[in-house]
Amino acid sequence: MTKIKNAFSDGCAFIGFLTAGDPNIEKTVEYILAMVDAGCDLVEIGIPFSDPMAEGVVIQDANVRALKNSTTTDDVFEAVKAVRQKTDVPIVFLTYINPVFFYGYDEFFKKCQDYGVDGIIAPDVPYEEKGEIADYADKYDVDVISLIAPTSKKRIQKIAGEAEGFIYVVSSLGVTGMRSEIKTDLGEILGDIREVTDLPLAVGFGINTPQQAEDISKIADGVIVGSAIVKIIEEHGENAADEIKNYVSAMKKACSG
Amino acid sequence: MVKIKICGLRRFEDIEIVNKYKPDYIGFVFADSPRKITYDLACQLKANLDSKIKSVGVFVNEDVDTIAELCRNGIIDAVQLHGEEDESYICELKEKTDNVEVIRAVVISDDGNLEEYENSNADYLLLDSGKGSGKTFNWNLVNGDSNKKLFIAGGLNSDNISQAINEFNPYAVDLSSSLESNGFKDELKIKKIMEVVKLSKGRYGEYGGQYTSETLMNELFYLEEQYNHYMHDEEFVSQLNFLLKEYAGRPSLLYYAERMTKDLGGAKIYLKREDLNHTGAHKINNVLGQVLLAKKMGKTRVIAETGAGQHGVATATAAALLDMECEIFMGETDTKRQALNVYRMELLGAKVHSVKSGTKTLKDAVNDTFRDWIGRVHDTNYVIGSTMGPHPFPMIVRDFQSVISAEARQQILEKEGKLPTAVIACVGGGSNAMGAFYNFIEDEDVILIGCEAGGKGLDTSYNAAALNKGKIGIFHGMKSIFNQGEYGQIAPVYSISAGLDYPGVGPEHAYLRDSKRAEYVAITDDEAVNAFEYLSRMEGIIPAIESSHAVAHAMKIAPQMNEDDIIIVCLSGRGDKDVKSIAEYRGVDLND
Repeated sequence: MTKIKNAFSDGCAFIGFLTAGDPNIEKTVEYILAMVDAGCDLVEIGIPFSDPMAEGVVIQDANVRALKNSTTTDDVFEAVKAVRQKTDVPIVFLTYINPVFFYGYDEFFKKCQDYGVDGIIAPDVPYEEKGEIADYADKYDVDVISLIAPTSKKRIQKIAGEAEGFIYVVSSLGVTGMRSEIKTDLGEILGDIREVTDLPLAVGFGINTPQQAEDISKIADGVIVGSAIVKIIEEHGENAADEIKNYVSAMKKACSG
Repeated sequence: MVKIKICGLRRFEDIEIVNKYKPDYIGFVFADSPRKITYDLACQLKANLDSKIKSVGVFVNEDVDTIAELCRNGIIDAVQLHGEEDESYICELKEKTDNVEVIRAVVISDDGNLEEYENSNADYLLLDSGKGSGKTFNWNLVNGDSNKKLFIAGGLNSDNISQAINEFNPYAVDLSSSLESNGFKDELKIKKIMEVVKLSKGRYGEYGGQYTSETLMNELFYLEEQYNHYMHDEEFVSQLNFLLKEYAGRPSLLYYAERMTKDLGGAKIYLKREDLNHTGAHKINNVLGQVLLAKKMGKTRVIAETGAGQHGVATATAAALLDMECEIFMGETDTKRQALNVYRMELLGAKVHSVKSGTKTLKDAVNDTFRDWIGRVHDTNYVIGSTMGPHPFPMIVRDFQSVISAEARQQILEKEGKLPTAVIACVGGGSNAMGAFYNFIEDEDVILIGCEAGGKGLDTSYNAAALNKGKIGIFHGMKSIFNQGEYGQIAPVYSISAGLDYPGVGPEHAYLRDSKRAEYVAITDDEAVNAFEYLSRMEGIIPAIESSHAVAHAMKIAPQMNEDDIIIVCLSGRGDKDVKSIAEYRGVDLND
């Protein structure tokens, strides 16, 4: 059992995402701490990848900026180490599988344990390919976070049945990015998942306004926001801390009703 | 990949065979059975066994200490229990060993409910019809998914094993009697079963798989199911064959390149003229199949990536013919070097997106096509252009392209009365090569050679030769070989040929390379351009710069071969589209 459950112990959790190394790795540490200060309950750190296939333009561009700075997987671990000196907030990695495969599964997950990473979200590792990492993650007590999409339907049973940490419910078809409207019938999907598991259910993809966060907090256990935070970093570069704090506080407040 | 256990080994010859084909587990039977062996013999056999293969001891109600002793002595690495051993027995066994792996056999007779074993201390459940009866149990009796990893046993053979794997999604399959002839293990049967298992479930050995967004998973399963359905549907097959014949112009010619042959002075060279197909390349073979399938599936829109523009043009063509909405994603760099093809696609009614992310070439076009598909799975099919991507795409594209080798094989037998010495094709993602190789794979004497883009040389970073320079990785939905930099970032690649400018290769090629069934060489820009010009002058055929890579290799090896050798070169496309860039390469300004 990892720290992840702590994030959901006090009402609807706010989960904030940023891409490590954008604008640089020192700022990543500062911005993570700014999010935590502002009430962020769980931090999702993106390991930059050359081809983030599930991302919209905002996060794609953040990956490009991070890689231009030559951000490496080791740098991201160092950032976690620095963050861990200040906070116990649950941390999960969002990473495509190739950088993990290349690093070596055993070494990667061992480092996750050593540095205090509680979970991993790998958007290109579906249920059928989970065997790729499951044993390593298990060995080093790292939760593999499962995604459930609006198209999952009958797959919900088996995905949720084996899920750990929390479940990442993808709100909409398509890639990440801010949406003005979430059209999926989330209530129905969340209901279907709850029939299978008691794990917390966090909704992500497209959420960016406090109103959206408030609406979703009424039916879900967590709200995940990525592109909106990354957009602030894109706009404010090295001076984004205050903006991030303001935004995260407002969103957290909306989540808390 | 599904693991394989071969049970009931009892001779040194058996050990030699498994050492050659490397199943994951082998079994020594210590219980009463025609295959029962003594502990002494097991000890000797184990000493000869490849250390990567785990030995499993098979027992019925054996004394725990005896088993523990065998484990301690390293004679067995895992334990399989077929008797009345209960949970306390398993706990004791695990305590007395270093937590040895335990496989608990469950006989599926009239009640296939696995729930009572959910909390077993065993690591795996083995489903069987009896104690190694060699009969298939009634698969319908097993209820629901088990949270335990499963071994499936009982009457499995090369004919039913793929179905069993699909049905149970097991951790491992366990075979014994079906691999025997006259009561002993048969090498040919073992070889065959290893092949079948390795190529099941969208795997090509360790390569392949479905590494993609959850959002697409149901759609990929649906696609596979519909594909399997329609490939057995007479109406679909005859419609497709009609289009291939009357619209695309198949069969394509197998042309004897006599001047080239005489000039090179060695093997006889035949060109498989895919360049003569409608739209000028092999791509049409695949898109007619995929777009027709999309239409049957009720989709109204198709999308595709394109590098040189050949696949985009072919998709736009098929979409026009079959009245489907069509959008093509093409890297910005490629839209510039292949501007004519962009306009061709637009003429055909397609919308072309210029992809500005990443390296702005083929791999980025693939990324954006997937991104589009994730947003519109309900009405759209991704018509992928090569033997790549998540399963079932590499299989579907290979099957549709295999018409190349089906025809070529028959044509060469008619013309020459024998099979070719070698088949040569260029490889980017690898669709024309897979098509050209496929029906020759079982003709073990036919040498299969893939030609990758060597660009400015393998000693530079300006090439796209994944199989020569890349490493294993997971990208674009598949485990395969990719050009990648430090920390697994996908590397920018380079080739004069936009169609080969891809940082990876289809998983089946990676498998053919590792299993040494095919070899893969790199051809530089210079060699390809020379071949482009050579074939134009020598035979009056202007080949695509992609196909010129294959021609170049034929030019290298033909002179070293005998006159009774035969080479078939897959001339995958025509070179009109490349004339401008070849002129630039030669420093000729066409505007002068």
